[in-house]
Amino acid sequence: MNAFEASEVEAGAVVALAHGMTVATNALLERRGASTALVTTVGFRDVLEISRQNRPALYDLAQDRPPALVPRELRFTVEERMGPDGELIPLDETSLEAAVTAVEEADVEAVAVCLLFAFAHPEHERRVGEALREALPNVYVSLSSEVLPEFREYERFSTTTADAYLAPKLAAYLEKLAERMDEVGSPPPLIMQSSGGVTSVDDAVSDAAGCVLSGPAGGVVGAAYVGSLGGYPDLLTFDMGGTSTDVAPILAGEAQTTTETVVAGVPIKLPMVDVHTVSAGGGSIAWADAGGALRVGPHSAGAEPGPAAYDMGGSEPAVTDANLFLGYLADGTELGGEVVLRRGLSEKALAALGEKLGLTAEDVALGTVRVANAEMTRALRIVSVERGLDPREFALLAFGGAGGMHACALAEELGMQTVLVPRAGGVLSALGLAISDIRRDYVSPYLSPLGDVDAEEFERRFARMESTSDGELTDPEHTRRADLRYGGQSFELTVEADPFEKLEHRFHQAHERRYGYRMEDEAVELVNLRLISTVPVEKPGLTEPEAGDTAEAGEREANFDGEWMEVPVLDREKMGEGSEVEGPAIVEFRESTCVVRPGWRGVVDGVGTLVLEKDDG
Amino acid sequence: MGRLDPVTLSVLASALAGIAEEMGAVLIRGSYSSNIKERRDCSTALFDSNGRMVAQAEHIPVHLGAMPEAVAAIMDRDPEPGDVFAINDPYSGGTHLPDITLVSPVAYEGEIVGYAVTRAHHSDVGGMRPGSMPSDSREIYQEGLIIPPVRLVRSDEYVDDVLDLLLANVRTPDLRRGDLRAQIAANNIAEERVGELIQRRGKDTILAAFEEVISYAEKRTREAIRDLPDGEHCAEDCMEGDGITDEDITIRATVTVEGDSMKIDFSGTSDAAGGNINCPLPVTRSASYFALRVLLPKDVLANAGTYAPLSIEAPRGSLVNAAYPSAVVAGNVETSNRIADTVLAALAGFAPDTIPAQGQGTMNNTVIGGQGWTYYETIGGGQGASQSGPGPSGVHVGMSNTLNTPIEAFEMEYPMRVERYELLYGSGGDGEHQGGDGIVRAVRVLEPASLSLLTDRRRHGPRGVDGGEPGRVGRNLLGSEELGPKVSREMEEGDVVTVETPGGGGYGHADERP
Repeated sequence: MNAFEASEVEAGAVVALAHGMTVATNALLERRGASTALVTTVGFRDVLEISRQNRPALYDLAQDRPPALVPRELRFTVEERMGPDGELIPLDETSLEAAVTAVEEADVEAVAVCLLFAFAHPEHERRVGEALREALPNVYVSLSSEVLPEFREYERFSTTTADAYLAPKLAAYLEKLAERMDEVGSPPPLIMQSSGGVTSVDDAVSDAAGCVLSGPAGGVVGAAYVGSLGGYPDLLTFDMGGTSTDVAPILAGEAQTTTETVVAGVPIKLPMVDVHTVSAGGGSIAWADAGGALRVGPHSAGAEPGPAAYDMGGSEPAVTDANLFLGYLADGTELGGEVVLRRGLSEKALAALGEKLGLTAEDVALGTVRVANAEMTRALRIVSVERGLDPREFALLAFGGAGGMHACALAEELGMQTVLVPRAGGVLSALGLAISDIRRDYVSPYLSPLGDVDAEEFERRFARMESTSDGELTDPEHTRRADLRYGGQSFELTVEADPFEKLEHRFHQAHERRYGYRMEDEAVELVNLRLISTVPVEKPGLTEPEAGDTAEAGEREANFDGEWMEVPVLDREKMGEGSEVEGPAIVEFRESTCVVRPGWRGVVDGVGTLVLEKDDG
Repeated sequence: MGRLDPVTLSVLASALAGIAEEMGAVLIRGSYSSNIKERRDCSTALFDSNGRMVAQAEHIPVHLGAMPEAVAAIMDRDPEPGDVFAINDPYSGGTHLPDITLVSPVAYEGEIVGYAVTRAHHSDVGGMRPGSMPSDSREIYQEGLIIPPVRLVRSDEYVDDVLDLLLANVRTPDLRRGDLRAQIAANNIAEERVGELIQRRGKDTILAAFEEVISYAEKRTREAIRDLPDGEHCAEDCMEGDGITDEDITIRATVTVEGDSMKIDFSGTSDAAGGNINCPLPVTRSASYFALRVLLPKDVLANAGTYAPLSIEAPRGSLVNAAYPSAVVAGNVETSNRIADTVLAALAGFAPDTIPAQGQGTMNNTVIGGQGWTYYETIGGGQGASQSGPGPSGVHVGMSNTLNTPIEAFEMEYPMRVERYELLYGSGGDGEHQGGDGIVRAVRVLEPASLSLLTDRRRHGPRGVDGGEPGRVGRNLLGSEELGPKVSREMEEGDVVTVETPGGGGYGHADERP
């Protein structure tokens, strides 16, 4: 709302409105979702609490897993049992009535219905859902066979429970949003999903667990778009903020999705943008451990007291203090009008830590940046080499408050030749929202040796999903994918499913890329069919004004690898298409800073991205 | 500090840990048997060229502490780049026969700079009963195929003769072949990644990092030990029978702290048992390392240096230093927990309030096998409560940390059905903070099968601490018949085996509960 006022845009002039949010993520992190009950198969009351039976920390015997979303007193059972081949014990109506009464008396906002083998045989689950909806019209009901029709009970129950737990909060939030948009004459908002597509408010609520990564997804999609426009379809994105950093791989201009995300200890096996988060950022604190090694994080100075330079009571040096001391940030920089960075305070904090380590303030500052970069490097390796991707074939796209300061050093560490710093680094998420297609994901379990799959049946099943999708969306485009594995393995790889004949070959290729070997002599097994349906939206182009006379705003002392040098400082606002920069230099963006290390040179391209290339040699 | 500055040390420690973790990911994802792919009963580590552990992925404690002996055994056999050695012999570097360890030299430009090690629990390695975890073996030959250190791969090619011999002696050869292949892939990744690190940083730096990561961990451990008062504390506990007799078998540990070093002496422990709960020395070391590691600050790395300040004395021929050909299969999975419990109890004398009440102290090993299939599972139970809060429920507490087999995966793979799998509310010991609850898991077989149970804490509940009550003991049932802690039986079609696991001990007096 305030955005409309601030931007002086008439709400009525808006043609489309998309919204990304962290409501769902925060509700999970803070365990502030709806009070939720569980109805499950008798004998299996505690699947959520037992989880996979392992302890979270090998040597810390007191540490427990994060609490289950449904406490013991809200877990109810019904007498019934499905097995791999169908019904083993019929659903006992008396026990169902008792369960419905118990849920009613518990006075909950939501209930998750999670029965064993419902992914293949949903009849009992549907009956339980029907009874609950009939008796308790105001309680939100999630069925595991609808939320995630896949095998492995813990992950399915966990995803379904998250859905029930989040839906009421999300509904309240989104309905209020839609109402206010309507009042001011804006079109109804579209909601960013974790998968990187947008959907209507109603669909977002009915797929609450699919909105958990709504926030970060927008940034990744926006980054993919900017990279593609500039001619860099293969990227690693690097979004470094104050307390956390998100990294993600982009292939052929597409954000990648994974179904193995765990948020706040809750596995959510729905397609989500493959973004890896580490809790390290500009606010991460440097410290000396008992053995005399310099460590950075996981503690963060946060916004309060913030790094020592903020003068808000923080006395321990953070990564930001190191960047300030080294001249990457300017002494006296104002942040959001209130905080002014004071280099003297950073130096004092760095020197104090240096005394413990037998190092100078300068050594501590350089070391802090290197140790923080090591963590970032590890994160980037997880989304590249561990996915079978060679980072040297990718460009590194940096954004977030601190991304541009660390990008060149990380690229050097990973052997990457190109760093991209988009002009709109601060609003990539918003851009992502604006260009996201409307998207829906469908999954249909189809467990069978690939050799036994009948091509016509395969086609029929996809056609069925497509016709469902055609009824739900307007003129969607369909992408067919399939989950496959070697017979007997338990991890699937998702590959393009069209045409059917190439499926096996694609799987062997994907397996080799991910795990380093293929087994042509082993039977391949089909597990799931997946349909991604999208309705494309019109995407804005990006332009960049021509370069002005000079963008040089001055010079300052900065330290590179232990050497102080006087380096030019450029104002990004005064740069334009064709503006060049040669490292060592510093480019100040409106909301962030880019450090161009010695050996790097760059030019602003036609869409406003500063493209930095490493000199060979 | 040594040759590397504190920054480079941090940076490279992170990179080395990343390599061990990536090995683990490759092994789990590429493997075939439920026990590895679903339950993750496997561990990975990187060693230096002197056979000292540099970095580990945090998987299964009992695997990790006992790896150095396997590497030492391979180093004695003139390994060459391109080799992969296999070993499972507990008397020459293994732990128990189902744990097959693959050790590959990590070479750079033809020179061996370290070793990659994967250890995985294979769900059958032959022997007298399906699953190779018999409750009633009396000598090691009954427990399966013994693999001394041999080359499984030479110059990057399988040694077919060895592989054929191995596969001919196990009940599920296809699964074994797939799992071994996954282990080899994991070892190969280590060599590739170490090579990349060397190319980027230079060989001298990386070799120096191996050295320093180890000496740094040693320094941290010594500091932690120095903070303990000098002195001697002793503790005693027992195993409930050895599968042949039902009598309690004593384990005794005396821990001495002097300055910055620690000694654990197992004198007073019973002689080796006639059954299979005996531990080869590496398993005893592993359990002792685990107990020490629990006491150390959380951020200390676990590698060869971590355990250098610790010396262990275990009387030869005793339960904790068994001699060939004693049967050992349950030593690794059961006695190891009790050794850790006993050492932790002694350590509590030095650092009261840092050690929680006892956890379930058993892995509740359940092995069921029929025609052409074997199933192995360990079941979680209650963890002990601590000063900081109640004990977690339904978890692995000691020397294991495997996942469960999902019921839906289990029933699609085996001719069996799970009838019940849930927590036993109230089974944790009472106290100011309550112990964690145990689990009940009941399984019905749909065709005749052979059952082995290797369990403990069926008579003596896990102890509470500071006035907390003990956890409830576990129970094993076949139908309604109560079975002993270690037992092998034949099951008829339709029979149900029910395992109730122990609760954890409580902390503090119950009347202090807020």
